[in-house]
Amino acid sequence: MSSNQQQAVSVYTVIKCVNGDYETERPFQDGDYVLKVVGICPKDGGNLYIAGIYALVPEKEKES
Amino acid sequence: MSLIAFAQASFNQANSLYYILTYLLFFVLLFLLYLPGVNTRLTVSMLSRGIEAQLNVIERYLNESKSKMEQLLRERGVQDPKSFVNRIAEMFIIDPVSIEPTDIIGRMRLLLRTGEDKIRDLITLVIPNIDSVSRSKLEVSAEVVNSLNLIYKVIRHYLILAKKLNSVILLYQLQFVVPQLVKMSEAYSKAMNTFIRGIPVGDSLGPLVAAYLFMKADKKWNPSRDTVAGEVEFEGRKLVVIKAEGPMATVGRPGEAVANVIEEYKGKVSRIITIDAALKLEGEKTGSIAEGTGVAMGDPGPEKISIERVAVKYNIPIDAVIVKMSMEEAITEMRKEIYQAASKALELVKKIILERTKAGDVVVIVGVGNTVGVAQ
Repeated sequence: MSSNQQQAVSVYTVIKCVNGDYETERPFQDGDYVLKVVGICPKDGGNLYIAGIYALVPEKEKES
Repeated sequence: MSLIAFAQASFNQANSLYYILTYLLFFVLLFLLYLPGVNTRLTVSMLSRGIEAQLNVIERYLNESKSKMEQLLRERGVQDPKSFVNRIAEMFIIDPVSIEPTDIIGRMRLLLRTGEDKIRDLITLVIPNIDSVSRSKLEVSAEVVNSLNLIYKVIRHYLILAKKLNSVILLYQLQFVVPQLVKMSEAYSKAMNTFIRGIPVGDSLGPLVAAYLFMKADKKWNPSRDTVAGEVEFEGRKLVVIKAEGPMATVGRPGEAVANVIEEYKGKVSRIITIDAALKLEGEKTGSIAEGTGVAMGDPGPEKISIERVAVKYNIPIDAVIVKMSMEEAITEMRKEIYQAASKALELVKKIILERTKAGDVVVIVGVGNTVGVAQ
């Protein structure tokens, strides 16, 4: 069933500093989008932005 | 003693009669199966049962997508979402006349845009203060409902027709096609959830690559509706980056935008580079990158031809960078392999610029695809 399979997909948000010296990931939250500024870089005080959003799909579903 | 012998004889007689009857029934059935009418009816019944089961799956996807859209509309205060969704589901666009091909692109552009505008206007009419991102999500939902409705109705039509005509050939054709359509319907159903949540899809690859370039853009403007352009300096070259305006769920009008930008620069553009998601062949890896020549764009024609025409007018070479994925991967949540391919595709674009242009040149870079969840 589609809705069950949807729940099996884990979506992550990749957060980076503009200078690229810091990177972290967290589960996707509603309202996230790429290039959204989400805070201040802990390394250099610049902007912390969303660099990407990706999904990890279970191997079984990938094959189907 | 004689009583036992009598009973045994009666049992043997009954047993042999039973065997004779079974054999007789078997041969009668075999004979009946060889009769053309009976054989056909049996095949029709078996084939149609299988197709009906698959049609039920498609109907479930359709009903799910309709319910989701109705829920979205209800949350925004629409009084009668059911009739609105049913109206959207039945909308259609008639193909332009093709036996007289003169200006078919112009006619097709007009019809496609009228269709898009109609849905946008209807949504704005029922939800007057809707923001552009929410509106774009409803537009995509409308497209999904419309497509699923069409798939469901066409299969149902041929199934009923085949049963009416007792046509085994028609049912065999359906049996070959329907599993693919079920897969496609499942992908559409999943895609609707992804778009509603604002998660980038595989097709957002092109806009994602463009977004990375946009980070350093000092001047931004809208060369066409729902499309944004930005100027970036790179190794002495001026890059004009174009993508659909995110994070809305839209593909924008990249063809018109490229044509307008090149006219703005009076044709003094040394190269056009298009980046898009492309359907992989079975056996190819998701996220693999390839480089080619021409406009990488999957539109029905009007946008792609705009780029080709302006390129021919000013003799501008066109490069294509594609990232491969399946149809389902293109319209559902962006897989990690595709996200990782975006940085590699960007490196390839930079390599092409350095190899094929010189300092002082203007290069147009187009990130083609749906920009859901990707801003600029």
